[in-house]
Amino acid sequence: MVLFLLLAAITAAGALGSILLRNLVHCILSLILFFFGVACLYILLQAEFIAVVQVLIYVGAVATLALFAIMLTRQVTGMELKQQLGQNRWIALGVGVAVLSVLIGAVTKQTFPAVAAQGRVSAEDLGRTLVTAYAVPFEIASVLLTAAMIGAIVVAMEQQHKTADRQRNTEHRTPNTEQ
Amino acid sequence: MDVIDQIFVLATRWILEFAGRFLPPLLVVLLSILISITAIALFAPLTMMYLTWLERKIVGRIQNRYGPNRVGKYGLLQPIADGIKMLTKEDIVPHGADRTVHFLAPIAVVVPSLLLFAVLPFGRGMIAADLDVGLLFFIAISSLGTLAIFMGGWGSRNKFSLLGAMRAIAQMVSYEVPLVLSVVTAIMISGSLSTRAIVEAQQGWWYFFTPWGLVGFVIFFISAVSEVNRTPFDIPEGESEIVAGFHTEYSGMKFALFYMAEFLNAFAFSALGATLFLGGWLGSLLPSWAWFGLKTFVLIFIMIWFRGTFPRLRVDQLMGYAWKFLLPMSLVNILAAGLWHYLPTWAAWPATMALLAAAFIALSNAHPTGEPLVKRTYPLVD
Repeated sequence: MVLFLLLAAITAAGALGSILLRNLVHCILSLILFFFGVACLYILLQAEFIAVVQVLIYVGAVATLALFAIMLTRQVTGMELKQQLGQNRWIALGVGVAVLSVLIGAVTKQTFPAVAAQGRVSAEDLGRTLVTAYAVPFEIASVLLTAAMIGAIVVAMEQQHKTADRQRNTEHRTPNTEQ
Repeated sequence: MDVIDQIFVLATRWILEFAGRFLPPLLVVLLSILISITAIALFAPLTMMYLTWLERKIVGRIQNRYGPNRVGKYGLLQPIADGIKMLTKEDIVPHGADRTVHFLAPIAVVVPSLLLFAVLPFGRGMIAADLDVGLLFFIAISSLGTLAIFMGGWGSRNKFSLLGAMRAIAQMVSYEVPLVLSVVTAIMISGSLSTRAIVEAQQGWWYFFTPWGLVGFVIFFISAVSEVNRTPFDIPEGESEIVAGFHTEYSGMKFALFYMAEFLNAFAFSALGATLFLGGWLGSLLPSWAWFGLKTFVLIFIMIWFRGTFPRLRVDQLMGYAWKFLLPMSLVNILAAGLWHYLPTWAAWPATMALLAAAFIALSNAHPTGEPLVKRTYPLVD
């Protein structure tokens, strides 16, 4: 119980930090703390597989991707990279309220204390259910992810062509020694 | 024989039984956890210290000199002298640095490297945490080092540090893909994610001595050398280009922690390579932990040997190698492992060998290594 409270506090602190901190890199670092806290909570629930996958995907991939995004901007080094509410604040508010209402609906439906599943679910059971009972949702998710990836590549390729054209048209003073 | 083989396991059991006489059961459980942690916490820095000694000795031999030989017999006390020196050095934090991030980075880089040791089977029954998902745990935790390196490079507010950090992230993300895909073959054939079960599945025939195992091991080892930032893949800290990369602004013990993480990772990845493909602690005559140590040190020796012989890669070569060669090769290797599983033995050998050889030849011809030499122009200089 003490452990749970401690972890929950760390997780909540991470989540709050990721929205309240001003420096964008600090935000990402505290987001990572939050992801970690969630992974630890999964371990407390004896779901090791989910916990490890949480670290692998959210910390290893999503957070790194966010860092990549920062590194691709112009003010990589600067402290001036601030998190601020832009013109999207109403959309953000709408999405936030929608997610919150779904979550509240889910929580209120559940009667507490919830009945725990009997025994631990091993990675093998999880894999088996994914390719038998839940094969269709699993495949749909894969197709969706593949489509998103291909889409991203296509978008990036178009931009690359455009910038290459622009570079050819306007004489650049800085030479590209990489090519 | 069995006693020597199980000496550490027996010692632990004896201590726990002794403690169980006058401690409540809960504390005994805690004590058993504490023993594992203490063993790792003692073993890891000692390994790191003597790996630095080993590396300097071997590289010295390769370069036709003696290496450390002043402090103690054969320079054996050199790591201790270095440690004391590191501890007494001034700790410098750059004026413009982000102090919190700069301070946290060395800690964040060492903790994952220590955690990796929890799932390594050091011998029969000698594993600190026998997780169902041990291998996934290893991969997940090892990817955390990247973030710590970014923290160090970004927090220093130095362009060389930042360049090093950016290179580190790009490199580690690229090489993690073939690394994980090459590990998948061992998972497929053994049918388990637990490191202990993978070792036990290799009873009688190490995966290294199969076509897919050999290819998988080579891909794994190359990617592992890259993941731990060692030559020829050490461009994140390429001293001829960007001073010392992400740890330019670190001094004293903080610098030593970065170094420690690098050596611990090198050890952990060598140990994992031995576990997955070289049969881990399996072997006759010698006790199991001796076999494990022997195999691990052979791999570490190869890493040091690389360092003594190979020049550093260029950034574009590094990326091209990972994405254009290692990645397709590891995908073909997964196919080969699948064939191996379903075909009868007499057909599996020629089929997988032919498949892998064809893929190797096709891939190496698709991207000719000998690029035509073009005279480079430097418009700003000329």
